Amino acid sequence: MNLPALQTTSSFIETRGLSRQYRVGPAEIQALADVNLHVQQGQFVAVLGVSGSGKSTLLHLLGGLDTPNAGSVWVDNRDLATMSRHQRTIYRRTMVGFIFQSYYLVASLTAAENVALALTFQGVHGAERTRLAAESIDRVGLGRRASHRPNELSGGEQQRVAIARAIVHRPRLLLADEPTGNLDRTTASEVIGLIDEIHRELGTTVVMVSHDEEMATRVADRLLRLRDGRLEPEGGVA
Amino acid sequence: MIRALKIAGLAINGLRRSPLRVTLTTLGVTFATGALVTMIALALGVQRQVETPFRALSLLNNIQVKPKEPSSTTKPPPLNDEALARLEKLPGVAVAYPDAHVKGIRIRYRNKESTAIGLALPREASLLGVADELLVAGRLFEEGDQPEAILGVQLADSLGFSTPQDAIGAKITVEAAGLMPEGSSEFSFRRKLLTVTIVGIYRAPPLMPGSAQQGIFLPVELMKEIPGMYLEAAINQLKAGGNPTAAGYASVTVRVRDPAYLDEVEKEIRAMGYHTQAILSKLQDMRRFFLAIQLLLTVVGSIALAIAALGIVNTLLMAVLERYQEIGLCKAIGASDGDLFVLFLTEAGIIGFLGGLTGIALGWLMSCGMEAVASFYAHRQGIAGRLDLFAFPIWLMAVSIAFSVIVSVVAGIYPALRAARVDPIRALRSH
Repeated sequence: MNLPALQTTSSFIETRGLSRQYRVGPAEIQALADVNLHVQQGQFVAVLGVSGSGKSTLLHLLGGLDTPNAGSVWVDNRDLATMSRHQRTIYRRTMVGFIFQSYYLVASLTAAENVALALTFQGVHGAERTRLAAESIDRVGLGRRASHRPNELSGGEQQRVAIARAIVHRPRLLLADEPTGNLDRTTASEVIGLIDEIHRELGTTVVMVSHDEEMATRVADRLLRLRDGRLEPEGGVA
Repeated sequence: MIRALKIAGLAINGLRRSPLRVTLTTLGVTFATGALVTMIALALGVQRQVETPFRALSLLNNIQVKPKEPSSTTKPPPLNDEALARLEKLPGVAVAYPDAHVKGIRIRYRNKESTAIGLALPREASLLGVADELLVAGRLFEEGDQPEAILGVQLADSLGFSTPQDAIGAKITVEAAGLMPEGSSEFSFRRKLLTVTIVGIYRAPPLMPGSAQQGIFLPVELMKEIPGMYLEAAINQLKAGGNPTAAGYASVTVRVRDPAYLDEVEKEIRAMGYHTQAILSKLQDMRRFFLAIQLLLTVVGSIALAIAALGIVNTLLMAVLERYQEIGLCKAIGASDGDLFVLFLTEAGIIGFLGGLTGIALGWLMSCGMEAVASFYAHRQGIAGRLDLFAFPIWLMAVSIAFSVIVSVVAGIYPALRAARVDPIRALRSH
C-alpha cells in the first residue's frame, strides 16, 4: 500500500492547529492544544517540558502512533491525520525510528536479533537483514556484544541497541522519547552524543523529548517548550 | 513467503518463552488428538476386520438364494439340483452351489479323531480365485472327481499334524451320520464314510468364531452325499405339508462373474420365485453402520479437542498480556495489525501441529497396547491369530494433523485479534 499523494509544505514537519484530548473517566484532558510547529529537514529539535505537558503526545502524533482530534500533522509533505491505520503503519515502517526511555528490547532475543526485528516487519530478510543489523549494531559500538541478550547488557548498552534498532532502516525522522531518562549522567551523555553523531552523519531529522534542558541544549539546533499542551514561543538555544 | 517464515520464527520464539505453559497446552491437544485418532482408527480397524472375510472369501460377487416359505395356499418352487442347473445358465452367473453347514462330522487320521463342520466348495473355486487368500498350505480343489478336502488349521492341528504343510497329501476318514428325507413324510438314519485326501489347509480371518477354524471343505458333489445336508429344507417342506424329498437345499450361493451382473441376476432369480440377498448389499449396510460409528466417535473426539482448544485460547491470551509492551513496540517499529494477527495465529497453529503430531504417536502407542491386550484375550477365547483391530491409513494421520491445526488456529483467532487491536501507546506506557 502506498502512502497518500504528496502535497508541498515548506517544512519537513509541519503541524497546524494540532490538538489532542483524552477522556479519562468523566474528565477530559487536553494533552495538546493548537500546536503549530515547523521543523526543517535535518534539524535536531528538543522538546522540553514537565511531566504531563504533552511532550510524548506530540511525539506519538509525529510518529503516527496516534491521531489528532483537530488540526493536521504533515511530515515530508504527507498529512498523517488523513492516513488510514495501515498507511500510518507503512509510514512508521519506512520513515520513522523510535527510541524510548525504557528501551523495550525483547528479552529472549540477542542484541543483533532485536535490531533485526524491525527489518522483519519491513520485509528485509536473509543475508541483507543480517548485514544491515550487523552494520547498525557496529555503528553504535556494540559489535562485540551482538550475541548478548538484554539482561547481559548495561542500561547504556541496552539503549545503544535500541538506537541501532531505530536507525537500522535509515529512517528520515528519529523520534526519541526521554532517551536518557533511565541512565546515569555519564552514560546519558554518551547516548546523547551517539544520537547527535547519527543525526550529523545520516542527516536524520531528530525530535527528542526531554526534561533535561542542559543535555538537550548540548545537541539540539532548537529548543521547544511545551506547557499544558501549548507550545511556548521559541527563545532559541541558550 | 520469507516474511511468513520470519513471522513463524518469531512465533516459535514467542512459544519458547513460556515452555511449561506451552508444553501443557500442547499436551492437551496431544491427548485430544490421540483419543480422536485412536477411536477412529478402532472404527476403521474393526470395519476392515469385518470386511476382510468378505474380500478374502471373494463374497462380494455372491448372491444368497433361498426358497420362499411354503404355505397352505402357495407352493413356491424348490431349490433343488434342477433349480441349480437353471441358475447356472443365467447370463453372468459363474457357478451356483448349495450352501452347507453340517455339524458333527467325525474326522479320523490314524489314531486321532476330531469333530468338524462340513462346508461345500465348488471345484470351480480355484478358477474363480475364491478363498485362495485364506490358504496357508496346499491348493484348492482340482477339476475331476478326486475325493479331496481342505481343512481348517485348528482341525488339522487336532488331528496331530504339526504344521499345515505336513497335512497335505494325508488321507483322512470322514464319517457323517444323520437323517435323510425318504418318501412323503419319512426320514431314515444314514451313515456315510468317505476317504479323502487333504489338499489344502486354510486359516479363517480373525474375529471369526473359533469354530471357523474347525471346518472341512468338501467338493460340492461329495457334500451332497453327506446325511444332514438336506434336513433343514426337508423339515420346512414337511411343515408346509409338502414332500420333503423334493425340498432340495435350504440355501444356495450364486456367484456372478462380476459385481456389475448382481442387479440383473438378482432380478432374474426373484422372477424365478426365490428370495435373494447380495452379499454386497449386506456389506453396504454394514458400511453405513460403520460410517455412523465413525461420525459419532469423531464428534466425541472433537469435544476433547474443543476442550484442548480452550487451553490454547487461555495460553495465548496470557501471552498477549505478558507481551503487551512487546506488541506495542512491534507496532511502533512497523508491524501491522495483520502481522500481529498472523504471529499469534501461527503460534496457535504450531501448538496444533505439534499436538497433532504427538497425538498421532500417542494414538498409535495406545492402539498397540490395546491391540496386544485384545489379542491376548481373544487367544484365550479361542480366536486364533493376532487381532489387527486398529487401522492407521495415511489419510487419517494427515486429516488428524490438519484437524488439530485448524481447531487450534480457530482457537487462536480471538487472542490474535486481541493482539492485533493493542493500542501501541497504551502498551508502551504500561508497566
